[in-house]
Amino acid sequence: MIEIRNLSLWYRRGHKVVDDVSTVFPNGRTIVICGPSGSGKSSFLRCINGLERFQEGEVLIDGKSLRARETDIHQVRARIGMVFQHFELYPHMTVLDNITLAPRKVLKQSAKDAVDRAMQLLTRVGIPENAAKFPGELSGGQQQRVAIARSLAMEPQAMLFDEPTSALDPEMIKEVLEVMIDLAGRGMTMVVVTHEMGFAREVADEVIFMDHGRFLERKSSTDFFERPDHPRTREFLSRILR
Amino acid sequence: MFHYDFDWSVLWRHPYGAMFAKGVWTTVSLSLVAWGIALALGLMVALCRVMPCRPARILGGAYVEALRNIPLLVQLFFWYFAAPALLPKAIERWLYANVRDLPYYLAILALGTYTAARVAEALRSGLLAVPPGQLRAAFSTGLSQTGTYWHVIVPYAFRIVVPLLSTEFLTCFKNSSLAMTVGVMEATGTASYIDSFTFHGLETTTAASLVYLATSASVILLMTWIEKKLHIPGMIVRRD
Repeated sequence: MIEIRNLSLWYRRGHKVVDDVSTVFPNGRTIVICGPSGSGKSSFLRCINGLERFQEGEVLIDGKSLRARETDIHQVRARIGMVFQHFELYPHMTVLDNITLAPRKVLKQSAKDAVDRAMQLLTRVGIPENAAKFPGELSGGQQQRVAIARSLAMEPQAMLFDEPTSALDPEMIKEVLEVMIDLAGRGMTMVVVTHEMGFAREVADEVIFMDHGRFLERKSSTDFFERPDHPRTREFLSRILR
Repeated sequence: MFHYDFDWSVLWRHPYGAMFAKGVWTTVSLSLVAWGIALALGLMVALCRVMPCRPARILGGAYVEALRNIPLLVQLFFWYFAAPALLPKAIERWLYANVRDLPYYLAILALGTYTAARVAEALRSGLLAVPPGQLRAAFSTGLSQTGTYWHVIVPYAFRIVVPLLSTEFLTCFKNSSLAMTVGVMEATGTASYIDSFTFHGLETTTAASLVYLATSASVILLMTWIEKKLHIPGMIVRRD
């Protein structure tokens, strides 16, 4: 379980990018965070695995604070996967090396185990034939599926998605969403920042609307789309749902 | 109009042939060892300069500015004339008495540390060119700071600056000729030494020039091979 208490983040004083957010992400749930660009969604997501150093508040993973002295941030990150808008695969490594690097170096898996597991995951995301290729030789959708496999190789207990389909051509969005839907179906805890309202409606257990660094609304996905309370949410939805 | 009797045999007849061969070997070994030092030290300095830790950045910056802004010749003189005097008297005396090729080793040190400053700047431009998302991605998989730099960031940066490093590698070879000023008998020094006995400077300087052209050609071949080998698919390529 991921718990956030009074989290605030700013890059310069007087302008809070994340403003006093408290929330809980229970295990096994898929939660979508949406909101206009610049509302602090990505920054918030990066606070959860400590990629962003927040100034106030606490992030607790299974009850352990990220900022506690005895917490090893690298260990925490090893158990929380993250998928990025621009994939961020290592361009100088093959697909297989991209996936096996962290399992070998962090989890100390043998090369053979890591490769076996990587091939399983590549099969699961539907592109085992691309194992020996370099990221630059793949389409955007394929790269993003490799990136998801790279995160899954660490056997994470939760996955963070930072606009995973925003950089993709429309016909490639589907192949990435299918992988995510499969993951949600397997009970993975997922926090997804996205503009894919179809995904939010179909797959998410809950949807959060974020604006100006705050969570303005959080509802089950049906309620969120059918009975939004906050006027900003209604305005946002009316603009992106046509 | 042209009164010069060519005698190319000064390049191989006894005792000059062996002398010249030794000179060529000295040039090659001196440059290669200095280059090794430059790469290792240069990488450390470059990493210091991009670390979040301020003292490390200041230290790295100071190193680069000191070593790239003082002429290499002056640095050679420093290592040869001044540095040993800074050591305790006993050690200094021991050095001069027991290290036969002291000028050679000091020249390696001078050339290595000087080239390191230039290599550091080349590598730093590579490090700065790596998208920050790479750092986040590597961290997000649980890799430590060291692991992230060692496995992801540095190999990526290195690939970006291979062409720059080729230039520095070439310069390192050519700069090694300055070592003759502190008495190292490398190719240039030997050429001028043979000239002083035989008055056949035209042949000896031509030979020295050919040596540098040959070493440069080897470096270029090697670096081109490395460049091809490390090419990142999907990035801009020369079509040929």
